[in-house]
Amino acid sequence: MTHPSEAQLDAYLDGELAAVEARELEAHLPQCPECAQFRDGRLALRAALQADVPTFQAPDVLRQRVRAALRAAASPRPPRRLGAPVLGPALAFAASLAIVALGSWRLGLQRGAGERLTDEVLESHVRSLMPGHLTDVPSSDQHTVKPWFNGRLDFSPPVSDFAGAGYPLVGGRLDYVAEHAVAALVYGRRQHIINVFVWPVARGSAIASAALERQGYHVMHWNTSDYAYWVVSDLGMPELRDFARLVQQADVETTGRP
Amino acid sequence: MESPELARFEAVVLPHLDAAYTLARHLMRNANDAEDAVQEACLRALTYFDGFHGAHEQSARAWLLAIVRNTVYTWRRRARADALATEFDERTHSEAIADEHPEATLLRTAAKEVVGRAVDRLPPEFREVIVLREFQGLSYKEISDVAGVPVGTVMSRLARARTRLQEALRDEEAP
Repeated sequence: MTHPSEAQLDAYLDGELAAVEARELEAHLPQCPECAQFRDGRLALRAALQADVPTFQAPDVLRQRVRAALRAAASPRPPRRLGAPVLGPALAFAASLAIVALGSWRLGLQRGAGERLTDEVLESHVRSLMPGHLTDVPSSDQHTVKPWFNGRLDFSPPVSDFAGAGYPLVGGRLDYVAEHAVAALVYGRRQHIINVFVWPVARGSAIASAALERQGYHVMHWNTSDYAYWVVSDLGMPELRDFARLVQQADVETTGRP
Repeated sequence: MESPELARFEAVVLPHLDAAYTLARHLMRNANDAEDAVQEACLRALTYFDGFHGAHEQSARAWLLAIVRNTVYTWRRRARADALATEFDERTHSEAIADEHPEATLLRTAAKEVVGRAVDRLPPEFREVIVLREFQGLSYKEISDVAGVPVGTVMSRLARARTRLQEALRDEEAP
């Protein structure tokens, strides 16, 4: 036979060559030192790969997470009432949750930018409530959540846990608002979810502080010298203000600037 | 909320969770990301499960792996911070190994890491064919389904990937 290609030899060694071709190759191999050497190299590589590369097993935690997520996704959703928060069954176990999102973001200077951002932030909040979308890094440890953002954002967001005040950190996630990557931190409070979106204030025009209600959700926004914060939740406004104060205090402690 | 459909889905798909996680780990190189990708892929798979009924020739494993692969690549496109993330991942990865292995096995671990690192350094399109073939034993046809490329492309990628691995290992051995 003519000299086989490397891909043909590989296919032969993988048992993927048609019977006729395989027989031809078998006849060729003993007569061709070059091909025999190639075969030996490949067999050694296969042995090394199978002996030395660790096999992975799905962790039990993942198995449980997947089953829980599947159950949540498969169970019928309660019909959404006007003004009522869309709380997926997956969230039933998570007491109250808040999300702080921090991201790089270029803000438009036009009028209505605040309105658009409010809509986007609200959309991200609602999207995060869908089963399996709440966190990319589920953890109550700020020292796990903060480094998770390394390499995913061009800044390192301040991350604090407010469990002591009744707003435990639940995790973080990378989100997208106005086509820009933002990172989200998730906190909990009873059955409620709060989203707070934060990004470097230097990246865009500042929008005036606000506290408003939209579609049954409460939205708060403010700027520090470093970051713009957006907080979204179906939590009552007094408690949301209480939470916002904690975030503001933590920001001052982290950055050392008011 | 156990529905017959969900039970059937779990029976068909969950046995392949290890395979899904292995592919995700090799493509993402980070345990957390891999777990998240597998979870999202399983949820996607549930939505597509109706479509799976018709595809008799496709194995459930290859079908799930294709969804895992697409999930990972969607994330990669979204993240665009792969290089930085990889540096971070490798740090945590090596720490995890140090945790699992007592000091006595460090030498053995070092030898094994050479091969694993060589696989990690392959470009993604080469890495995935190696993982699917060598670690999961998929047929060329199944790999072609998972990667969405013709069988001929699978063959040439496998050959080139293996040659690269051999070169990488030879370089490691050279003094």
